[in-house]
Amino acid sequence: MLKITNVTKKFGELTAVNNLSFEVAKGQVFGIAGPNGAGKSTLYNMISGLYSFEGSITFNNQSLGGLPPHKIAKLGISRTFQIPQTFPSLNVEKSIGVGNHFGSKDGFEQKYVDKILEFTNLADKRKAMAGQLNLLDKKMLMIGAALATKPEILMLDEPMAGSNATEIIKLMDLIQHINQDLKVTIIIIEHFMKVLTQLTQELLIIETGTKICCGDPVTTTNDPRVIKCYLGDSRD
Amino acid sequence: MEHKPIALLLAGIWGIVAILPLFFGSTNFIMHILIMCLIWSVVASCWDLIMGFAGIFSFGQVAFFVIGAYSSAILSAKFGIAPIFAVFCAGGIAAALGILVGLPCLKLKGAYIALVTFAVHMILEPVLKGTIGRALGTGGSRGILTIAPMKIFGFTFSSSNPVPYFYLMLLVAIICSAIIFIVIKSKWGTAFLALKDAEDFASCLGVSSYKYKLMVFALTSFLTGMIGGFYAHYIGMLSTRMLGIDLFVTLMIILVIGGVGKFPGAIIGAFITIAFNEMLSPIGPYRPIILGAMVVMLVLILPDGIVGLVEKLFPKKQHELTH
Repeated sequence: MLKITNVTKKFGELTAVNNLSFEVAKGQVFGIAGPNGAGKSTLYNMISGLYSFEGSITFNNQSLGGLPPHKIAKLGISRTFQIPQTFPSLNVEKSIGVGNHFGSKDGFEQKYVDKILEFTNLADKRKAMAGQLNLLDKKMLMIGAALATKPEILMLDEPMAGSNATEIIKLMDLIQHINQDLKVTIIIIEHFMKVLTQLTQELLIIETGTKICCGDPVTTTNDPRVIKCYLGDSRD
Repeated sequence: MEHKPIALLLAGIWGIVAILPLFFGSTNFIMHILIMCLIWSVVASCWDLIMGFAGIFSFGQVAFFVIGAYSSAILSAKFGIAPIFAVFCAGGIAAALGILVGLPCLKLKGAYIALVTFAVHMILEPVLKGTIGRALGTGGSRGILTIAPMKIFGFTFSSSNPVPYFYLMLLVAIICSAIIFIVIKSKWGTAFLALKDAEDFASCLGVSSYKYKLMVFALTSFLTGMIGGFYAHYIGMLSTRMLGIDLFVTLMIILVIGGVGKFPGAIIGAFITIAFNEMLSPIGPYRPIILGAMVVMLVLILPDGIVGLVEKLFPKKQHELTH
């Protein structure tokens, strides 16, 4: 449903993403991993319309090239950010309402907002201001607002960063629910290999903007090229 | 602030202002000051909407006011348009220019927007005084000395009898504040706040930053330009002196006293600042010094203005957070 073909992004002399191609199928949990600076977040910024790019990105056979972020959101691609972004001037309910008001094809539905509040475990904090929440709740709120747009694809950018073991389990549980109960296709950027092998059906490894390999997560993580790019050359 | 207290506060302010002529109606000088308070309350509220609420550092508010004032004066003098229609046309002209200024600002952030919008302010004076201005009928550096007074259904609002014009301006100010209140309360208001807080996230949730930013430019410059027109037909003459630093600083003081982003604080700020400024007039050249010192003190003591102080004194119930 999402097809990336020969996509390149250059910032002056630096090539952040280099001739990258892959495809995400409907219903999948698709993982993306790679060392810091590999171009993972740049890739998200291109898909969500924040950056321009060379090459082609299509969603349900429609080209995303040149579309502004709010139109891409309306098409059904939603995302979160690595550094939690919230709206400190709005309360929890209204923050989720932003996604529902502006991003959902069906317009604003209070019932749907209530459902998302339950789903993200934020129902009892609906009147709290977004800035007062703790890190886990901020992440939940960001995911909730993204879900309120009724996306077909949800792109998560390092959702586990800065979380402890219990929180990671909670987040993994939520991601599985989103995928299975709400039938949302998920793309996830993550550093924790254990999270990726447990959650994903397909895993893409990139380094300096180039594809290293792509395939089922267990085979991929054991690929010598991947081990080399994470740990360096083996001595034997 | 929640919406209900804003509505109550607005009703309270306008209720009190409406009965002021009972006490001061016979003193033309005080009525004149009150009319000025009403005019500046609209300009300051618009500035607060774009800067305090939408987070766009537009410094072109006085420029749009002057554009509106000149447009309305010229439209009524040159084309014979009745002042009551000319003020709305002037609002339209200011809105069109507002969108034009807003366009480059879509690509800019923070202080750079302040620079672009203040450039409009800076350019305006030489344009109005120069050949382009004279060709349009601005009267060059002499200004426009005779502007038709406001006339509605054959009734002429003259500045020698200010009470009727006071009520006309009160009506306009009430309508403007109601529009701003409705905008803040609506989906627009949520969009402005979301874009101010986290623009990238908001646009990835479907909020069109172009649309809503241009909307706020158009709306605030329309209302500011329109009230500029009402000012011109009341005062009866115009010159580029309005573009001096005095007026700009006064507006800033109004916002600081009222509280930036604390609508309807700007309205309260306008009444306090304009009245205080007039009271200080006997001390002549020391007035700007006192006003300047007051701004420094206020920013230190009341960073959120009067409305912020009220919020601190009567805090709303904090919602319990279970972490």
